[in-house]
Amino acid sequence: MAYKIISPRVGTPGDEFDAEAAEANGINIAALLEGGFIEQSTNETAKPAKTNSKNSAKE
Amino acid sequence: MPTSTYLSNPNVTVGAVSLQDQCQGLVFTRTIEALESTAFGTNSRSYVAGLENSTLQLDLYASFASSETYATLKSLVGTQVTVSWSPSATSPGTATNPTMTLTGAYLEALPYTMAMGALGTMSVTFTGGVYSVVEV
Repeated sequence: MAYKIISPRVGTPGDEFDAEAAEANGINIAALLEGGFIEQSTNETAKPAKTNSKNSAKE
Repeated sequence: MPTSTYLSNPNVTVGAVSLQDQCQGLVFTRTIEALESTAFGTNSRSYVAGLENSTLQLDLYASFASSETYATLKSLVGTQVTVSWSPSATSPGTATNPTMTLTGAYLEALPYTMAMGALGTMSVTFTGGVYSVVEV
């Protein structure tokens, strides 16, 4: 499960929150989620636009 | 001559959340319980070390805005929390600016005070946990 930082109190907003390391240090991830400090990240990258060579203009 | 003057920049984090701008003071007491080991044939009491039972009290301003004091602490009451603090937020974890941590400290209560014309405050106490210091 990936998480993204929302609040600057936790880190740089937009950066990924290392939940595994945090949990290993005794950090309560559920409390951070409930408090609105981090959110679950879909962690999906935008797919590149498909190019269709058939539609390219013929020269 | 004073050698530790806390003018502006101590740092404190509760469960990875920095509450530096909401904290006005802290009191840390490292306690290792004394177990009496006095035996016959002695004229004074003697003790040996028992379990560690340190406490950290944080005096915080009571902000109920999002991502502030109340939002940080409300879900932690009755749970074990990791709390860290250092004399300065700049380059913590060094010999002259050590980072102290209580891992697994218990937050029993979230008391706060409200009064007309005054800033509300929350004085919370974390009890127990494993104490460690980073001062590389």
